[in-house]
Amino acid sequence: MIGNTRPLAAPVAGTALLRTTRLTKIFHGDGGTVHAIRGVDLSVARGEFVAVTGPSGSGKSTLLHLIGGLEPPTSGEIWLDDHRIDGLSQARWAVLRRRHIGFVFQFFNLVSNMTVADNVELPALMSGASRRQAKARREELLAELGLAGKTRAAPGRLSGGEQQRVALARALANRPSILLADEPTGNLDSSNSADVLRLLGRVHDQGQAILLVTHEARAACLADRVINLFDGMVADDAAVLPPPRSSLAAAGVVRLTG
Amino acid sequence: MRLPLLALLAKEPAHGYELKSLLEQTFGQAYPSPNIGQIYVTLQRLEQAGLVRSQNVVQATRPNKRVYELTPAGRDALAAWVEEASDEPRVRDDFFVKLVLSPLTGATDRMALINRQRRHYLSLMRGLSRLAAENDRGNKVSRLLIEGAMLHLQADLDWLERCQEEFV
Amino acid sequence: MRAGVRWIRADLRARPGQALVVTLVIAGVVTALLLSATVLEGATNPWRGLFAQTRGAQIWMHLARGTDVRQLASIGGVTDVVGPYTTTAATLLQGPTQSPIELRAMTPAMPDVGRLLIRQGSWLNRAAPNGVVLEASFAQAVNATVGASLVIGGIDGPSARVRVVGIADTSDQGFYPDQTPGLVWVLPTLLRQVEPITRHTDELVGLRISDPADTSFVAQQAVAQLGGGDVREMSTWTQVEQSMARGDLLLGLLLALFGLVALGAAVLAIACVTGGRVLVQLQDLATLKTLGFTPAQIMGMVVAEHAALGLAGTAVGTVAARELTIPLLHGLPAAVLPAVAPLPGAWVILLGCGIELGVVLAVAVPGWRAGRVQPVVAVRRSPPAGRLSRLASAALLCRFPPAVVLGARAAFIRRLPAALAVGGLAVSMTLIMIGLGFVSTLDDVQQHPADIGLAAALTVGPGELNPAQASRIVYSDRDIATVYPCVSVSALLAAGTTTITTLAMGTSARPYPFHVAQGRLYHAPGEAVASQGLLDVLHLRVGELVPMQINGVPVIFRIVGRIIEPEYDGQVLAYGLDTLSQAGAAMPPVYYSLVLRGGIAPSVARAHLLARSSDRLDVAEAVDPASQLGIVQVMLNGVLGVLGLIGLSILLTASAVGLRDYLRDVGALRAMGLTPLQVMTSLVTSTTVLALIGVAVGALAGLVLSSRLVNAGAQAYGIGAGIGRPPSAAAIAIAVGAAAAAVAAAAILPACRAARMPIAAVLGP
Repeated sequence: MIGNTRPLAAPVAGTALLRTTRLTKIFHGDGGTVHAIRGVDLSVARGEFVAVTGPSGSGKSTLLHLIGGLEPPTSGEIWLDDHRIDGLSQARWAVLRRRHIGFVFQFFNLVSNMTVADNVELPALMSGASRRQAKARREELLAELGLAGKTRAAPGRLSGGEQQRVALARALANRPSILLADEPTGNLDSSNSADVLRLLGRVHDQGQAILLVTHEARAACLADRVINLFDGMVADDAAVLPPPRSSLAAAGVVRLTG
Repeated sequence: MRLPLLALLAKEPAHGYELKSLLEQTFGQAYPSPNIGQIYVTLQRLEQAGLVRSQNVVQATRPNKRVYELTPAGRDALAAWVEEASDEPRVRDDFFVKLVLSPLTGATDRMALINRQRRHYLSLMRGLSRLAAENDRGNKVSRLLIEGAMLHLQADLDWLERCQEEFV
Repeated sequence: MRAGVRWIRADLRARPGQALVVTLVIAGVVTALLLSATVLEGATNPWRGLFAQTRGAQIWMHLARGTDVRQLASIGGVTDVVGPYTTTAATLLQGPTQSPIELRAMTPAMPDVGRLLIRQGSWLNRAAPNGVVLEASFAQAVNATVGASLVIGGIDGPSARVRVVGIADTSDQGFYPDQTPGLVWVLPTLLRQVEPITRHTDELVGLRISDPADTSFVAQQAVAQLGGGDVREMSTWTQVEQSMARGDLLLGLLLALFGLVALGAAVLAIACVTGGRVLVQLQDLATLKTLGFTPAQIMGMVVAEHAALGLAGTAVGTVAARELTIPLLHGLPAAVLPAVAPLPGAWVILLGCGIELGVVLAVAVPGWRAGRVQPVVAVRRSPPAGRLSRLASAALLCRFPPAVVLGARAAFIRRLPAALAVGGLAVSMTLIMIGLGFVSTLDDVQQHPADIGLAAALTVGPGELNPAQASRIVYSDRDIATVYPCVSVSALLAAGTTTITTLAMGTSARPYPFHVAQGRLYHAPGEAVASQGLLDVLHLRVGELVPMQINGVPVIFRIVGRIIEPEYDGQVLAYGLDTLSQAGAAMPPVYYSLVLRGGIAPSVARAHLLARSSDRLDVAEAVDPASQLGIVQVMLNGVLGVLGLIGLSILLTASAVGLRDYLRDVGALRAMGLTPLQVMTSLVTSTTVLALIGVAVGALAGLVLSSRLVNAGAQAYGIGAGIGRPPSAAAIAIAVGAAAAAVAAAAILPACRAARMPIAAVLGP
């Protein structure tokens, strides 16, 4: 079967922000059991940008949901900041997510009956910030992401790109330890995708750790490290190498006939 | 390079250095700065094929320059090129051959092969990303070229996944 | 939790209509419950409320003029002495009619103890020397309103034209015309004008005592102190209370049932509406969970939001009840509702808390479900699909219109909401049917009072005549169909511990026509019929013997039948007079129960008897529960209205939720080629199938339950089973028809809209 590919970047115990050990998820459904994740070991260091790629059905989204506590794992360990978090109750997970984990989804998932301002302030309010503090943080984020004029808008009236930027602002509101992004450009056209990816890059430059799930190489290549998932297991885990000098132009790829 | 030069000459006759600067202006950074020697060699070949002809123009204060222009045969060739659909092979021939023959060659296993190729593509993609970021917005041609390259790379990566599914 | 508050505010802003519906439903229920409690309290026990509000005196005495009343204050237990007020007997002249009244002179300054409650108009004032204040029940009986001009004639003085300035309630005396004379308060100058001879006036004094149990003791002491000759008349609060009280079991029973029904229905409606809202909000709630709301927080938020709506609804309902009390209830005749007093604050708070608790409980289950929602999974939630069941396939093969089959199938896909919708509608319909059953029971009681033991319209006592004279007048009256001589006798049970009231009514040859629910009437000496309450208390059944002692004479009764008797708290044993004579405890009849000839109104017959006996015969109309029950009918109509609203809200919620789910399929079906008409048919089917099932199940259950419920309640209260009636055919037809129409309307309007929407809009994300 799949050979044991030694991952290039081996996690050193104690320095990793996020670490999973033999993470497994099995779904039991009408059509039989599905082994979505089979024993995944991965790690994300502080400030590191890690992308997870793989064909559909490889379990990428499930992996993200497990790490974010949206689903309980069948077995295995998850460590965040040297605290073991896989066995937490729903309530404890919720508290953890508030402060330490930010989520960005493919379909934006903004709260439909709240304005943009409310959506972005919500995480701050939930963690106990005062109204003034939440408002200040919201203004700062919206300005940085180019949404300053849309405070009172309803999410339904914004374009896809704007909604995803609001989602990003919301995810970053509490300065989370790690940002989890599940196909953030999956529902956007190419120019909006480029915007969002550029923002992700900027956020990463400011020191935010990001775990990104995507099937688009143009998103994955921005990461420090790319993990390739196949059939629920890690097939490859390597840093993205700097591009070779010789093909700095497009020459290596495109040939003009003539 | 032959056809781009023909196309540029279709507009008006020009000499070698003019053509070089035109190429640079048109394709910008996405295309490597063409070697003037390469241009002259191509022009000579085109002349031998009867698609262009040249004239020596005498200049008062400067050295003589050779000006090239399109012949009718050259115009026909250009028209034919424009009409015909482009057919570029995208299959990475060496890689595919390597992959198929790997059990025989006794080299590293297929998974490692695929992984290596994928890492290469990813780093290429990163290069294209950087290029796109540096490229000035106004240059539509350059942008399209980079976009095209990225899309092709994505297709190659998707095809890699298919290989993974079939062979591993 | 600031975040929770933010969510609640946003939710209320985004869907204000639904919040309003919930608030109004709660307000409606609160109003209905408060009004019915007001009526219950006012109708069954008006004295207590009046006494508390008037700070009344427990003992009232009419004393001879000039008696020194200061010594009364020193009697142990007396806290206040009220009065003395000068009083005199007079007459109110209205055309040919003369009503006996008592004029009481009081000053414009209302006393602190023994007050009067001004219901309309104002109290006496010196600016209107000819102004009078009438007691409320008297005013109603003589049709006098504030501002009316009346003529009062004293015994010795001239008649005076007076003007009514106010109408008041008092706790000094029972209601007119059961208690005469009517009370009229005047200024002292007017009293002197009408009755100049002071010898013909009395002094009225009231004593307020600290412990009501000491009443008789204090009264005796007062009489002793004042000397017997000075005390013309005395009455105590027990007499007043009894005369005011209406121990109407039927009324109490039905009103209590109504209260429970309304509360239960409201809880159900709120649970359904909330459940529907939560279902629609599931996507957003899941997002909240992703952001870090704990399940407990989400449940708390949902419950808090609806508890707040509940408080708002309760507040609105309380205010509405207070505003509507006077307009709605004051128009009712005094015989139905003698005193309308706002409920004590404690009751209102208690009811409010009860409803709030009900709201919280109703919301708890949907709230808990909301808390358990899965945090967002990236894939959009799609409604659960199912294979085409065999039934549906068969229906399609049989050329059933495909639109109908698809619609029906869609209705059942989501099991839990389908069950909730059916259940909610079924319960509403059941309650409506039960309500209609109550209505028809009441109608029956009104039209056939004999069925609940009220065959006799009049009861006649000898009054001032001797028994022979009374008997002669009664037996010779032409209005009367049958005369039943009666006497009420206390009997001691064999064990010697319990005394019960027994009624000897009619003779064994001609027994009083009780309505027999089981067995038969008494036809021989020694046979008796008993009411359910008595049978329960004595642990007896029809056919058994019960030995008793009447006036020291042992008598053995055989119980041959069970009757329906709402009076006497449902504990009655009735037999023929000859049983007493045969046993050796013969007693002459004390009063007569009269059954009138058909078509003759009791008031007319009464007037004739009074005229023939020169007013010396004591004639009373039988308490007609029908008139009292009139109020219940009003309330029942209110209940039915509320239930209808509740059913409608459940229907609309279920329809909206079902439609939302089915809409995506509709897009696909239209793309496949279903015409807009077919689409509309399938949409309408999907929402109406469930609703119609719920309505049908509910109607059937209600029909089965309604008469059983009334009978069970009647049995428990001691009246006896047998009075329940199912709803009339017309009522059933109207109720079911209205429900079906509502179902259709709730389904057709959104279906029209959905059928016309562009396909792309329906198919889109």
